[in-house]
Amino acid sequence: MFLKVQLPWNVIIPAENLDAKGLLLQRSIIIRLLEDFAARKATKDLGYYLAVTTLESIGEGRVRQQTGDVMFPVVFSGITFKLYRGEILEGVVHKVLKHGVFLRCGPVENIYLSHLKMPGYSYMPGENPMFNDKVSRIEKDIVVRFIVIGTKWLEAEREFQALVSLEGHYLGPVS
Amino acid sequence: MSGEEEENAAELKIGDEFLKAKCLMNCEVALILEHKYEQLQQMSDDAANHVSQVFEKSQQYVKRFSRYKNPDAVRQVREILSRYQLAEFELCVLGNLCPETVEEAIAMVPSIKTKGRAHDDEAIEKMLNDLSLIKKFE
Repeated sequence: MFLKVQLPWNVIIPAENLDAKGLLLQRSIIIRLLEDFAARKATKDLGYYLAVTTLESIGEGRVRQQTGDVMFPVVFSGITFKLYRGEILEGVVHKVLKHGVFLRCGPVENIYLSHLKMPGYSYMPGENPMFNDKVSRIEKDIVVRFIVIGTKWLEAEREFQALVSLEGHYLGPVS
Repeated sequence: MSGEEEENAAELKIGDEFLKAKCLMNCEVALILEHKYEQLQQMSDDAANHVSQVFEKSQQYVKRFSRYKNPDAVRQVREILSRYQLAEFELCVLGNLCPETVEEAIAMVPSIKTKGRAHDDEAIEKMLNDLSLIKKFE
C-alpha cells in the first residue's frame, strides 16, 4: 500500500553552504532534504521512501558546537510504500525457479511465491520455464494477484522481503 | 516472518503508523509521481539521473497498475468510495483492484463484511456499479 506520511526530519547544512540570503538557504535545505530522503531508501516502520511532496515547515536553525554546521528541524509530507500481512496486491513475475517464482510489486523485488503456495500448479522446465495448471500459466512478465503472508525487514540492505500466496478466492494470474 | 503477529490487513489490523498516515491508490500515486518528475525536468535536463531507484520502480509500477488515468476520474473514484464508510486502506484496495462482483469485492477486502458494519450485498453492488460507470465514461 502506498502511504502519504508526514515526517519530522533534521536537515544539516554545512557551514560553508550557509548564505545570508534567505531564499538560497531555503533552497539548500530543500536540496539537502531531497538527497537525504533518497539516500534513506526505506525504514522498517514506513517502508520504502518514494518522494517528498511538500515541505510543511522549517524550524529555527541551531548551530552545532563542534563543526559550525547548522541543523534545521523540518516537517514534510511524502509518499512511502509498505507491504502488509493480509494485503492483496498485484505484481509482475520476474524470475521463475524450480521451487517458486519471484515477483516485483512497487519498489519491492524480493517477493517470493513458493510452489507450495500455488495449489494446482506444476513446474514445467524448458527454455521458458513456467508453472501451469489446466487453464493458466505463471511465467516471466505475467501479472499475478496474491496475498501477503509474511514480511521481513533486512536492516543491512534496507530492503523488505515478502512471502506471498495464491491460496484464496480470486487470486492467481490476471489476464 | 513478521515480528508483530497481530498484523493482518484482512482484518484491518494494521500498525499505529496507519493512524497517522493516509493511504493512496495507485492511480493517485501515478499522478503525483508524474508531477514530481516534471518538476525535476524543469530543474535539470537529466532528470532521469536524479530520481532514486525506489522512485523509478514505483513509477513504472503505478503506471502499469492504475485503473484510472484521467485526473478527474481519479478524483471521482475517491469521492464515490468515500461515501461508503470505508477505512482508507479498504478504499484504496478497492480502487486498485476494481473487483467486478460482490463476491470478489469481499474476497479482496474481507473486513467490509465483519460484524457491526453496515455493508450489505446491495450497498456493495451499488458501489461497484458506481465505480464501473467512471471507468466507462473516462
